[in-house]
Amino acid sequence: MSWWRGRHSTLAAGPLTAVCIALALAAIPLLDHIAPWAVAMFAVAILLRLLVSHRHLRLPSVPVKIALLAIGLGGIALSYGGFFGIEPGLGILLILLSLKLLESNTVRDFQVLVLFGWFLCLCGLFFSQDLTRWLYVGAIALLLAAALIRLHDTSHAGTFLRSVGISGKLIAQALPVVLLLFLFFPRGGGAFRPQFSRSVNGVTGMSDQLSPGNFAALTRSENRAFRADFPDGNVPPLSQLYWRGAVLWRGEGLIWARGGASMPVENTSGKLAGPGIRQSIIMDPHGSRWIFALDRPAIIARDTDFQAGGFLQSFRPTIAPLRYTVTSRLENREPGLMQEHRKAALEKPQLISAQVQDLVASWRANAADDRAVIDAALTFFRKENFVYSITPSTYGADPLTEFLFHRRIGFCEHYAAAFATLMRIAGIPARIVIGYHGGEFNRLGNYVLVRQLDAHAWAEVHLKGEGWVRIDPTNVIAPDRISSGSESFLESRAFGENPIGETSTGAAGLREMLREARLAWDNVKYQWDLRVVNYDEDEQRTVFNVVGIGAFTPPVIVLWIAISMMLIFGILGAWLGRTRRERIDPLVRDYRKFCGTLASAGVVREPSEGAHTFAERAAARHPEHARAIRDAAELYIAARYRQQGKAGTSFRKAVRQLPRIRPM
Amino acid sequence: MTARETPLSEGVSGRVRVVPNRNTTGLVALLIAMWYAGASQNNGAAYLLCFVVASVALVSLLHSHANLRGLRVSCGPIAPVLAGESHRVRIGAIAASGRRHAAIRVKARGRGESVAFSEISGPRIEHDDLAIAAPARGRFETLKLMASSLYPLGFFSARMALEIRQTRWVYPALEGSRPLPRKFTPARHHGVGVRTEGDDFAGSRAYVAGESQRHIDWKAAARDRGLTIKQWAGEADETLQLGWQDTAGLAHEARLSQLARWIVTAERGGHGYSLEVPGTVIPADRGDAHFHACLRVLALYPGESAT
Repeated sequence: MSWWRGRHSTLAAGPLTAVCIALALAAIPLLDHIAPWAVAMFAVAILLRLLVSHRHLRLPSVPVKIALLAIGLGGIALSYGGFFGIEPGLGILLILLSLKLLESNTVRDFQVLVLFGWFLCLCGLFFSQDLTRWLYVGAIALLLAAALIRLHDTSHAGTFLRSVGISGKLIAQALPVVLLLFLFFPRGGGAFRPQFSRSVNGVTGMSDQLSPGNFAALTRSENRAFRADFPDGNVPPLSQLYWRGAVLWRGEGLIWARGGASMPVENTSGKLAGPGIRQSIIMDPHGSRWIFALDRPAIIARDTDFQAGGFLQSFRPTIAPLRYTVTSRLENREPGLMQEHRKAALEKPQLISAQVQDLVASWRANAADDRAVIDAALTFFRKENFVYSITPSTYGADPLTEFLFHRRIGFCEHYAAAFATLMRIAGIPARIVIGYHGGEFNRLGNYVLVRQLDAHAWAEVHLKGEGWVRIDPTNVIAPDRISSGSESFLESRAFGENPIGETSTGAAGLREMLREARLAWDNVKYQWDLRVVNYDEDEQRTVFNVVGIGAFTPPVIVLWIAISMMLIFGILGAWLGRTRRERIDPLVRDYRKFCGTLASAGVVREPSEGAHTFAERAAARHPEHARAIRDAAELYIAARYRQQGKAGTSFRKAVRQLPRIRPM
Repeated sequence: MTARETPLSEGVSGRVRVVPNRNTTGLVALLIAMWYAGASQNNGAAYLLCFVVASVALVSLLHSHANLRGLRVSCGPIAPVLAGESHRVRIGAIAASGRRHAAIRVKARGRGESVAFSEISGPRIEHDDLAIAAPARGRFETLKLMASSLYPLGFFSARMALEIRQTRWVYPALEGSRPLPRKFTPARHHGVGVRTEGDDFAGSRAYVAGESQRHIDWKAAARDRGLTIKQWAGEADETLQLGWQDTAGLAHEARLSQLARWIVTAERGGHGYSLEVPGTVIPADRGDAHFHACLRVLALYPGESAT
């Protein structure tokens, strides 16, 4: 065989097909993050390898493989502009895997393919650590192990399912050690921890700009924003849950933006009142620096700081699920207002139509103080025919005027933006707060689930002597939205529009059941996030202290892990390597018992003696029990030689009922 | 089971040892990479997957140990061969553990070919023929074998040394070009001189690998009696004297090889023959028992350094 000619495939087709399927499945979660041409190359490699195997073709030769490698690496360099970072890394991984597939022809190559597969499974976890994702990659890891077992079990006994079963058994037996390693294997280190540069793609979430339609788009996303647990058990009513995300200072009609970057941060310490509400929050990765906390955060979380407007921001973008604890106080006593803040909160939009100017002027003329102006504005929203809708459609050149006087259809962001702008025109310092409102309380897990569809915007105005006061104009337009949350509000609206009306209790019951099931599943996922995904150095230290090994150094702990593992493996190994006794026929066991009873009565069966002869001899020795002995023997003979299944049970009964006979 | 099945010699199984192999390196590299990825991202889910793979690999180590433990290997009687050839040894394997043993390979210790048993389970004995090289003459009392397996995941090799007490004879290679020494003594009684051609059938004896196949009794072979050589009694009433001194001038081993060749030639030619080497004299005779007795003397003859 010359080196420029490829070889024929010698790997068994069954395991090879299984490993190819598993590799393809393992790559699916990565598809969004790898250049399409590399994915295509991988797919072609899989198909080609299967074709070679099933059609008895030749594998590609060495020059072809070298050319493919060069093309692949060049392509990666062109697509990503370099080899560093997680996405180019994945691309290289996939190309190397493609080449490995095309050259795999020995048992050792097969082992390497499985190792590659396991690593691909791990890569899937870079982008989501969700329970569903883990179960998916875990199942593929199991499939890969099954392919290995199939390869090595040359008898190919049974179907592939049998190999899957064996690998499942392996995993089940490994669980105690998995638990041991997971809980105690020293985590962290930190020093060697390079931050992968990567983007969080495809995550819908808050944007720090408020423009009409922004939030309405979010309400279509059922994605989770975060889950909040209240460790002290003091859960405020859902309608009181205003999750403060950010404060928008720069307003231009209906469009608001952050601004305020250069503004000094106010000192809120001691100015917040009410009981402290501790929240333990697990936030899904969103790729920016949002930190959500109940209005208003008082004691900040680790690695975060306050921004102008009294909201939190993390030091680094959140690219993995983040767990933090924050304490909030619901009452705000912050009468003073910094000069810069006042200036920013009074800045009027550049474009103010005469209509708007007149409206505000009329309020101001009839009002005694700022409070009265606010009431007038809210009354305006209530009295005029404003409609709350998630599909408000787009507005034109002067959206504020159009919204206030013509269309009058809007979502929370329209109302908050319009209200705050009107306040500024009236000379009242105002700003917008964006975040989430409400959530869904999960009774099973005792936490509040906040989803993207709970996104909300509201306004804050500064009143003399009171400080910043939250005004939620949406509350005026659609009080249901505030009391029952966005989803159920939207749901009821949707069903309200349905002329037939799904009012039957059956449908409602089913919906309720589905909701319950969804909450239960979400609770399972929450426990997963809480206990597995967020199990880090700190959590581990807590566990160490509880177990009483908090003072041990990592090498000592590793030593203890090794000792415990040997113990577990010693037991498991002895059990696996045990000699399996032959299963004794129950009939034989009963007959032995029968012989034993008679032996203790002084009649020992001779090895050559049949059941009948033996029973006759025993009956002759013990005439008072002759009948019982003969009957039992007859039953045995019937069960043994006449294949009467029922006789076996009767025989057992007869043996059991045989009295203790004294030897004569 | 075939009619030729004879009682097997049980092997003494050594300890099962599970050792890393080339695949273990890859596994360790993967585990380090997985752990590093989990640590660098502080990724709890990745840690868990890493630990699952590591634990499964460790559990597979126990399985590969158990896969050999309780396996009993035996072998059938071994026919003598000439030095430089290979024994064909019938290897039997049975699951004395009562468990299933998968993908077992058995081979002689050192290099050489192996036999594979894809599955050993239940009360049934699995059989296969193993070629065992016989490089040097002599009588060997134990057969040293090695059972090994990669099952279940292939990241570790399980090995078990086996020692089976089973005598096997290796006769000297047939070499040398000297003609049969033309020394005859009259046979003590009629019919001792035997040839493979002749008038009267004088019985048959086992075929020895390396002999001419011309005289194999193929009909008997077809009846599954193994390879035998038909022998015919002829008129020759004189016997050949094969002696150590007839090979003078040759090297030590070459002398033994020459004698062996003469014995085979004489036996095949139907002559009666006697063998005389220092320390041993075998009187003239013919037939299977005599033939093998002579070759065994040569097989056991001390080496050059010992004389």
